[in-house]
Parts: sequence; C-alpha cells; structure tokens
Amino acid sequence: MNAVQRGMACNAVLVQALNDALEQNDQAAFTLALYELNAAQNSSLMSGVRQVAGDLQAALEQFRIDSRLLDLAEREIPDARHRLAHVLKLTDEAAHRTMDLIDQSCPLLDAITHKAESLLCAGNASGGIRNESANEMALFADTALVNARSVRSMLTDVLLTQGYQDLSGQIIRSVMKLVGELELALNTLVRIGNLQTTTACQKPDISSHGYGPVIPGVHHGNTVGDQQDVDAMLSGLGM
Amino acid sequence: MAAQSNMSILVVDDFSTMRRIIKGLLQDLGYSNVTEADDGLTALPLLKAGNFDFLITDWNMPGMPGVELLRQVRADERLSKMPVLMLTAEAKREQIIEAAQAGVSGYVIKPFTAAVLKEKIEKIFATKTQSAA
Repeated sequence: MNAVQRGMACNAVLVQALNDALEQNDQAAFTLALYELNAAQNSSLMSGVRQVAGDLQAALEQFRIDSRLLDLAEREIPDARHRLAHVLKLTDEAAHRTMDLIDQSCPLLDAITHKAESLLCAGNASGGIRNESANEMALFADTALVNARSVRSMLTDVLLTQGYQDLSGQIIRSVMKLVGELELALNTLVRIGNLQTTTACQKPDISSHGYGPVIPGVHHGNTVGDQQDVDAMLSGLGM
Repeated sequence: MAAQSNMSILVVDDFSTMRRIIKGLLQDLGYSNVTEADDGLTALPLLKAGNFDFLITDWNMPGMPGVELLRQVRADERLSKMPVLMLTAEAKREQIIEAAQAGVSGYVIKPFTAAVLKEKIEKIFATKTQSAA
C-alpha cells in the first residue's frame, strides 16, 4: 500500500467515525472525528509541501552544477557591465577632447574674422584708387571673412553633434542597469542553490527617473516623434 | 522680463558633455553667466542660495530627476516664478503632460538644434514679458 492509498484508507475510517457520531447524535465523538480528519488533511498538505520542497532542492542542485550559468553570474555579466562602463568613459573623453579643440579653434577664427573686418574697413575708408595689390588684399580679406564665419558655424554644429555622447550614454546606462539587475538575480539564484535560502530580488522603480532616449526598434509606448509634436502637444495643453 | 544677456542661468544635466554643449550654445547666443549642476539634488541648494534668472534642466538624472526639481522650484515661494526649460531625451506623451502640469515653461527634445534652443528661450521670455505687462 503506497502513501496515497494509506491516506485514503485513513480518511475512510475517519469519515465512518464522523457518520457514526452523527447517527448516534454524539456531539463529543463528532467533534473528535472532525478534528482528526482535519489533522489528517493538514498532514497530507505538509507531505505535499515537503515533496515540492524536495523537488525544488533537486532542481537547485541541478542548477548549482550548471557551470555555464555560474560563469555568467560570476564573470561574464560583471565583465559586460565593466565593458559598457568603459565605452561610456571613452565616448565621454572623445567628446570632451573634441570640445577642447573647438574651444581652441574658435578664438583663432574670431581673430581672423576681426582682422579681415578691419582690413575691409580700412580699405573702404581710404577711398581713392587702389592698386592691384590692395585689391587682392581686399578680395582675400573678404574671402577670409566669409570662410571664417562658415567654419565658425560648422564648429557650432560639431559642438552640438557631441550630444551623441549624452544620448548614447543614457542608453548604455540603462543597459548597464539591466545587466546589473540580471547579475543580482543570477547571484541570488546561485546563493539559493548553495545555501538553500530564499532572498527576494526587487526591481527598483525607474518611472520617476525617466526612460531615456527612444531607440529605433525598441517599443517605448506612446512617445512623441519630434520637436514639432512636443510643440503641438504643449499648444494643445494651452501653453 | 525679456531675456537679458547678463541673466544668470543654471544648467542641470548629469552628462558633463551635454552641460558643456548647452553652455557653449548659450555663450554663442550671448549668455555668458552660466552655472552648472549635475542633478536636482545639487541644483536645488544652488537655486535657493543663488540669484538665478533661468533654469535649464534635463529630466533623466540620478538622485533627483528634473521633473522633481521643477516641482520643488514651483513649490518654493521665492523660486516659483522662475522660467524652467526642460531639455531632455524623454519623449513619452504622458511625461510631457506631467511636465506641463508641474509648471514647465518650455520643453525641448534631444537631440536639438541651436536654432530650437534660441527660439524656445526667446519664446519663454517673450511670454514672461507679456504676463508681466
């Protein structure tokens, strides 16, 4: 007779006792039989829980010896996080270096612009007939002025383009955060496998801190397309 | 109040590159009195202690995010009228509504252009002038 059959037989005896007590109108015997039936049910429940716990333990033992998962938790995921941090640092340094060069170039261009303007002013003020050399000088000053202003404008665009570091950095940070959470969850699982303890892994609430830039191909919910959308929305809100 | 070239501006962004870009663009627009902070927690004491005329803030920052900084500014009697421009990559419609409800003066999505920044600053101060008149 197995455990289930034994349990059924025990239950049948108790139900019969319950029935007898009911027929004989024996309140004390009825209460006792009811209590015993309840206790038998609880015992059966505990036996089930023990079975599930045993299965879980066996599964965790299996997990514990999975070296690939252990390797991921202990080495590869922390490595990935460090690599992303390194990319963040490299892009930050590159962007700052570019902006240093812009900062150094702008005064040089401004000096050319001012000199060209003063040469043109002097040429215009002198009036009279200018020789060929003076004409060439005026032509050069005019070209230098136009080109310097054009390069200055392009440098402003180069400055703005460094915004990629902020946008890509925000995306990298969000991936780093995800990798960090994965690392924590895996480490918790590894610890459970080793120590047979349970620790909840809570995901922090990020909504109030924002979601970061929109990434093509990744669903972000209901987002605006561009600045015109933002302006239209704000206008619709009475702003 | 129209935008004055000597007005004191606080730029808040956790990325130093972005703070530098905004500062550079503001200088090109003639605003040279610019201070930087890297999130709401460092910005708020500066705002309370200083005499700033204009706040430009990112949203997504560690510590205190920009929208919370905005709420704190609006809740402070002395700072409540300060124009606040949100300059952020946050593009969800509910976030723009949240910022508007919190009292933002303008909202610019990254990546942005120098022309858009100039236009929004001018618009904010033109509106402020009209309100004061």
